[in-house]
Amino acid sequence: MKNYLERMAELLEVDQVSADDVLEDFECWDSLTVLSIIAYLDEAFKVTVSAEQVCQCRTVGELHARYAGV
Amino acid sequence: MKASFDHVRIESICTVVPERRVMFEDEIDQYNFTRPQSLKLKATFDLHERRVVSDGVCASDLACDALKALLDNEPTLRDDVGAILYISQTSDYILPPTSNLIQARFGFGPEVYCVDINQGCAGFLIGLFQAAQLMQCTDVRKVLVINADALSRKVSSRDRNSNPLIGDAASVTVVARSTQASPLVFDIRMDGRDALALWIPAGGSRLPHSDRTAALQEDAAGNFRSQDHLVMKGDSVFNFVQGAVPPLIEDTLAQAGVAKEAVDYFLFHQPNRFMLHKLAASLGVPPGKVPANIVRTFGNASGVSIPMTICHNLAPTLLEQSLRCCLSGFGVGLTWAAAVLTLGPLSYCLLKEYQGEKLS
Repeated sequence: MKNYLERMAELLEVDQVSADDVLEDFECWDSLTVLSIIAYLDEAFKVTVSAEQVCQCRTVGELHARYAGV
Repeated sequence: MKASFDHVRIESICTVVPERRVMFEDEIDQYNFTRPQSLKLKATFDLHERRVVSDGVCASDLACDALKALLDNEPTLRDDVGAILYISQTSDYILPPTSNLIQARFGFGPEVYCVDINQGCAGFLIGLFQAAQLMQCTDVRKVLVINADALSRKVSSRDRNSNPLIGDAASVTVVARSTQASPLVFDIRMDGRDALALWIPAGGSRLPHSDRTAALQEDAAGNFRSQDHLVMKGDSVFNFVQGAVPPLIEDTLAQAGVAKEAVDYFLFHQPNRFMLHKLAASLGVPPGKVPANIVRTFGNASGVSIPMTICHNLAPTLLEQSLRCCLSGFGVGLTWAAAVLTLGPLSYCLLKEYQGEKLS
């Protein structure tokens, strides 16, 4: 989880993120950020996730629980 | 489908790009995104400049320029050509086939077999395979594999998803019989279930062009396009490439009996640097063996991207010596194809600007 939060902070272009942060509230939130997250999940957790599935997650923590928590 | 050929080689290649250059920054205000957002896209995908045709120029015009260069360089080629394969998604007309127009333009005789193939990003591999297969059971000595696309006209200028990536170009590759054994190994795969991940909804028979299909609409991400424009589901295409291409490459290398380390270059279709670097990482090959500089220099020209990668990066080397290469194209269809072969020495390998040779 620690690694995950660090990488998500990088991808979301902020110093740090917490599990409760809402994804679409980040200033850089757009289709490119979503694609970068898809690429990270594929690389780190070997899961294939669509843009729609990422956008269905409300928070940073929810994304982890659904796709990176195993 | 797997295939292999023993006595077929690529003899020469000419790639032609239009003279008109468009810079990423010139179009940044057309997009419905903030400047920092678009500059981040530019940095991630390594976007810089692309080549697009001027009004009135078709992809086939670029192809004629390339063919003229090859015929000027080797006049005997005219008598050796037995077939013309024209691989494109932007034909001159719905009918007749563009290959017949090129046949007439250059005065090739009636014994020359002409066929158009509708293929996209895997179009170079498909053309190469069809050329090799054609020589197996005919008297054809040499085949012109022509890849040509001008998709810039089919993309909305307000679609940040596709517009900044697309370039126009054409290439002519001469495929010939080889007296020496030179194995050419293919693996070609397709899956039509995801065919609409890359498509142009209107303009064909299913949904003819009309005022309604030409109306711009905004999508969920903020891009404007009409039904006459190309639509790409970026996330589906990314997941498809990352999931399907690495195992295809591994299987093709195994079929050819070539170790990954023994490959000099992995010459892939050029969607953008982001995807190519991810692909190199998944395959565990050094990025230096996977050229990824085409989109920043010319734009992604669909099926022309592999011959363009060869001409732009390897021309001086390939005129002198041979290289062991693994080729792969992936996209529209969906299609993903790979080939393992020894490339070179080539008798001609050049990328040049369009000089205005027109198909009338």
